[in-house]
Amino acid sequence: MSGLRRALVAIGAAGLAAGAATSLVVAHSDHTDARGAFIAVSLLLGWSFIGTGLFAWDRRPENGTGALMVMVGFAWFLQPLGSVNAPLAFAIAVIFANTFYAALIQLLLAFPAGRLATRRDRRLVAAAYFTAVVLQVPQLFFLETPNEDYCDNCPENLLAVMDSVPTAQALSALQALPALALFAVVGVTVIRRWRAARGAQRAALAPVVWAGVVMLAMAAVQLVAGLAAQQGVAQIFFFAVLTAMAAVPYGFLVGLLRSRISRAAALSGLVTRLADPVESDREIRDALAEALGDPQLGLTYWLPDDERWVDGSGAPVPDPTRLGHVATTMVRHEGATVAALVHDKRLEEQPELLETVSAAAALALENQRLDAALRARVEELRTSRARIVEASYAARRRLERDLHDGAQQRLVALALDLRLARTKFDADPAAAAELLDASIAELAQATDELRELARGIHPAVLTDRGLGAALDALATRAPLPVELGSVPEERLPEPVETAAYFVVAEALTNVAKYAEATHAEVSVERANGTLRVEVRDDGVGGADPAAGTGLRGLADRLAALDGRLEVSSPDGSGTVVRAEVPCA
Amino acid sequence: MRVVIAEDSVLLREGIVRILEDAGIEVAGQAGDAEDLLRKVRAHKPDVAITDIRMPPSHTDEGLRAAHEIRGELPEVGVLVLSQYVEQGYALDLLADNAAGVGYLLKDRVGDVDAFIDAVRRVSEGGSALDPEVVSQLLGRKRRDDPLDELTPREREVLGLMAEGRSNQAIAAALIVTERAVEKHVTSIFSKLDLVNTPEDHRRVLAVLAYLRE
Repeated sequence: MSGLRRALVAIGAAGLAAGAATSLVVAHSDHTDARGAFIAVSLLLGWSFIGTGLFAWDRRPENGTGALMVMVGFAWFLQPLGSVNAPLAFAIAVIFANTFYAALIQLLLAFPAGRLATRRDRRLVAAAYFTAVVLQVPQLFFLETPNEDYCDNCPENLLAVMDSVPTAQALSALQALPALALFAVVGVTVIRRWRAARGAQRAALAPVVWAGVVMLAMAAVQLVAGLAAQQGVAQIFFFAVLTAMAAVPYGFLVGLLRSRISRAAALSGLVTRLADPVESDREIRDALAEALGDPQLGLTYWLPDDERWVDGSGAPVPDPTRLGHVATTMVRHEGATVAALVHDKRLEEQPELLETVSAAAALALENQRLDAALRARVEELRTSRARIVEASYAARRRLERDLHDGAQQRLVALALDLRLARTKFDADPAAAAELLDASIAELAQATDELRELARGIHPAVLTDRGLGAALDALATRAPLPVELGSVPEERLPEPVETAAYFVVAEALTNVAKYAEATHAEVSVERANGTLRVEVRDDGVGGADPAAGTGLRGLADRLAALDGRLEVSSPDGSGTVVRAEVPCA
Repeated sequence: MRVVIAEDSVLLREGIVRILEDAGIEVAGQAGDAEDLLRKVRAHKPDVAITDIRMPPSHTDEGLRAAHEIRGELPEVGVLVLSQYVEQGYALDLLADNAAGVGYLLKDRVGDVDAFIDAVRRVSEGGSALDPEVVSQLLGRKRRDDPLDELTPREREVLGLMAEGRSNQAIAAALIVTERAVEKHVTSIFSKLDLVNTPEDHRRVLAVLAYLRE
């Protein structure tokens, strides 16, 4: 027998003993009417709670409802203790006589999770205990014997300081009115809860809510009758309330079992629906929403490579764990996070449901995740392709401007100078020679500019001699010391070489422009089918890859080759630009 | 002096031929690609082979490869390589182990006729000619704890001219100082850079280039 079972058996024995003891007390009471009926109803009620509670506890040990039901049962047995004859015990029993109601309210509000989920619930329960126990005391100061008008033989009230029935009645009303208010609030709360619930949860809540509300209503009538001094009515209702209450634990039990049965039904429905291989993201979401009874259920997929969340279409979404108004449950498949269910916070009251449902859906969600990853990739490619096209147009425009403003202007000036020299050739040879000298200088400038322009478009050294030589040339030209580590000597595919070259070129340009660095290091290494290029400086950091078009363009170039760019640039500790390109 | 010239642009080739012939240099053969060049060099055994780097069919570095081949096969033939753009890598590879009779110039230099003819002559006499642009790149390279910082501006000028392959005499003429003064600068430079001095110009070029390449 497990430890839990043993403990439950012990609690059951204690419950039997408590019932027996109170029955003895009632049987020997000299101030209780209808003792036989009272004993019968009392045992029915107490043992119903304890018995069903233990059963629920045994079946759903992770759920606190069973334990709460047992507690309510024991709290009940404080009530018949009021039949005790000894004055001291009687006084104590009277103080705690109504604890039962508070415990019941706690159970009602805690269902079905078995714990109080919201601060409001906890406050309501605290108010219930305060009303039931603390507000019970003041009236006792003013009664020689409690319930004087109908309890002729009650023991002497040890708490009484003076006998003033009107004062006691006023204080009694001060307890009854908040109690009525509490009944109303709790009743409305659970009915609302039931109305808001969907599917499985709603089915589980129904018996509890209705048993609870009927019980609260009857208790309210009993209280009102007591206030109106209709003791006869109150007495009748007392028994009616007790009998109704004895039904409550069965309501809870049915509710608990229902939530388990409907979970099994939801689960089998889910499994059947997910067995269909052509599930779309939408269908899976609907199936999960139905199984969990949350029509607002959201699904987000985790892309571990990009470390971000996307929806079923692959569009990026905010981190679901940071959304305040909803709860998230991670779905794992073979140890890795696949997706997150974004659901109503109330579902957290059913962790087992979430767990079973997410376990059942893990494989289908993993497939959906791969789908979403693919879509995200396609979307990324689409936008980066658009950017590449735009960048190439921009480059053409720049080139046109450079050619037009540079070499072309110089050549036009040159043509003018030469024409002038030609006209002066005979008349003023000295001036013609001067013009020719100027033309030669102009020409040298034009060729220099054209050479630089050509290098910017594509460095010939890269094509002719490969990455090492091209990077060496970059390092030489850089306006700060650049240490170039070893570069693979073999020739690499042209797109890879070109991408690597422009990563270093752009990174070094940025270092020179912004980093305020004293030196930079460039390393290129080829391993496991990947070329890794790293440019590191000791400058001020704080580079934002999203801010400039240069790095963005590089990232696109790399993405086009299935590579990626990473920029790490914490403030004050330099910048590292890292690029990876597949290079078999 | 006899030269063979390879340049696929006919316009430029004829311009260079005219300049050379004006300077009294005999152009023994003209080639439009590297194969043609090799054939004509083998046939004419000229003093200098002048070649463009980029030539048909692939327009990459045919000329450079032909130059290496000539150096290996006919060491007595000087090689002057013309390049559309300056890449120190080409120059340094070309001059890597023996700078005697090797030149590397930017194509634009042919416009500066005197300097170009001077370079051709140097190469034909077993000296070296490195384009000033390459030299200034090498000198301009930023280094950490740069020992070049210890050189005086005049010493830097002298170092640059040395790297171009000029003799002390030529350096003296260029800077308008005495040869004696140049020698003093050279000694000072070599001691500051911790290099071993050598009287032969083309070995001196190697030492300086090796140093600058570090």
